[in-house]
Amino acid sequence: MRYLFGNGPARMAPYLLVAPGLFLYLLVAMGPSLATVVLSFTDASGLPRLPIHFVGLDNYKEFLTLGAASKENLQALVRTLLFCVGVTAIQFTFGLVVAILLNQGLRGTRFFRTLFFFPVILGVTIQGLMWTLFLYPIGGPLETLLNWFGLHSEFLGGQATEAFVWVMVVQIWANMGITMVIFLAGLQTIPDEIYEAARIDGAGRWDLFSRVTWPLLTPAVNTNMVLTIIGSLQAWQLFFVLIGYRPGTQVLGYLVYATAFGQTTGSTAGNTFRQGYGAAAGVILFLVVLAIGITTQHLLRRREERLLG
Amino acid sequence: MTTSARPKPRPSLARGGAYLVLIVLAIVYLAPITMLVLTSFKTLPEFTRDAISLPASFSLDNYLEAFDKANFARYLVNTALYTAVSTIVFVITGTFLAVAIARRFVRGSGALFTLFLIALFLPPALIPQFQLILRLGLYNNPIGYVMLFLVNPIGIVILVNYIRTIPTELDEAAALEGISYVGYVMKIVMPLIMPAIATVAVLHALGVWNELILATIYLTKADYYPITRGLIVFNGIYGNNWPVLAAAVMMIAAPMALFFVLMQRYIIGGVTAGAVKG
Repeated sequence: MRYLFGNGPARMAPYLLVAPGLFLYLLVAMGPSLATVVLSFTDASGLPRLPIHFVGLDNYKEFLTLGAASKENLQALVRTLLFCVGVTAIQFTFGLVVAILLNQGLRGTRFFRTLFFFPVILGVTIQGLMWTLFLYPIGGPLETLLNWFGLHSEFLGGQATEAFVWVMVVQIWANMGITMVIFLAGLQTIPDEIYEAARIDGAGRWDLFSRVTWPLLTPAVNTNMVLTIIGSLQAWQLFFVLIGYRPGTQVLGYLVYATAFGQTTGSTAGNTFRQGYGAAAGVILFLVVLAIGITTQHLLRRREERLLG
Repeated sequence: MTTSARPKPRPSLARGGAYLVLIVLAIVYLAPITMLVLTSFKTLPEFTRDAISLPASFSLDNYLEAFDKANFARYLVNTALYTAVSTIVFVITGTFLAVAIARRFVRGSGALFTLFLIALFLPPALIPQFQLILRLGLYNNPIGYVMLFLVNPIGIVILVNYIRTIPTELDEAAALEGISYVGYVMKIVMPLIMPAIATVAVLHALGVWNELILATIYLTKADYYPITRGLIVFNGIYGNNWPVLAAAVMMIAAPMALFFVLMQRYIIGGVTAGAVKG
């Protein structure tokens, strides 16, 4: 692109004006992001004047192989994967079904869309507190409902597995709206004429979905798959609000935060901050996300080629 | 985003089924919200006796109590300040970045764009960020906290993609008028990309407004708390007094609901921006 706004010193204007934004980005985002890897090879703590030593792969060895803690770490990894699979499968399915229903020109569409998207903007604090109240174990609404069916749950205060499943429910409730609006945007790119043509050819409802909607929705399917998988692998903030750091429930993201910022013991005193170790956990989570992300992209691209030629 | 009506004859059975699914789901979405609203009007004895009964009266006592005891006015001002300052700084620096990248006014603009594109796939910056703020002496300092929110790579990507759709003839017309580069960006480009700026600003502001973890890490002094941290601390103290706690949550959630209804177009636009095409 030719530059039209002067020569000589005036040519420098865009450079000068790019500088602040770029500097900030490198300073608070890109730099720290890459430094996570460096920090993971050290014994950095949360105290500003303590010297930092290079410890090689010690943090990784400890995280993966040392004693009872490493066993818990691996369980957290498995839990992270379970959370991802459960959340992705359910959120994807609900988002798709709701988007298709809301694309039929039914009355009340706008209301339903607004309602289902609303939790997204509330953020984890309000989402979490709202559900803590909804899951109130002594005569709360869900308690009462379950009792009608002769069921019982301790909810967030119950067995670790039980609490974990409820966090999953809240995670899906909170984020289904995102999946839904992305599918809706995708559905609206499909021209009505294609449906008309298919119907004239005698296509039934199922044919319309499997032969027209589903293949033409591929871009939205890909986006939602990648966003939900990566998002749920990294999600942990609802755990923080809903149940806190509890053995048997934590996922990798929470582990990173808890070890680096001393929340494991419930104390925030500086000497419990194990930032080097936390960084190693962060890199491990990053590698998991990367491996799964790349595999997903690859599979989605193969599917796209098969589908659209 | 408007839903295009697809006029086609639908059997009423199918339509009934569709409504059934939507209504059941709507109940799942409305129930926690309803519970919150109702609880916020009850007295503590009422709640303890029967958690799901209707409130005897719609008095605002819980709201007054929460407002009185929790210093929410202060937290709200803090949140508003953090959100406003970081969003304004980001939008201005981000626009200059995006214009230069989209129009290739700086050398290496392609590489620069890649730098922002890959941000989504990098390791979390959480821990080194803390080391940085600590060493800059900005821990437990509102300036350090706001610094963390001055960048938003997704926002840059959205802006660049939008600017690329604007014809370059406008640049030439502006240049013929002898306008300066700053004038060109502020007076020609900015008004044209207002929809994208609104989307990016609203998304960014929501992120800052809702941030809890960074506030927990960086701000330990109560005077600096944003509303999210204030709520969690309040929960720690009033955890058993759900009526007052519910009123506190309501005071934050209700304005956000209003904001959402007004800004829905930009919020949903931001979430879907580039998601379908890219």
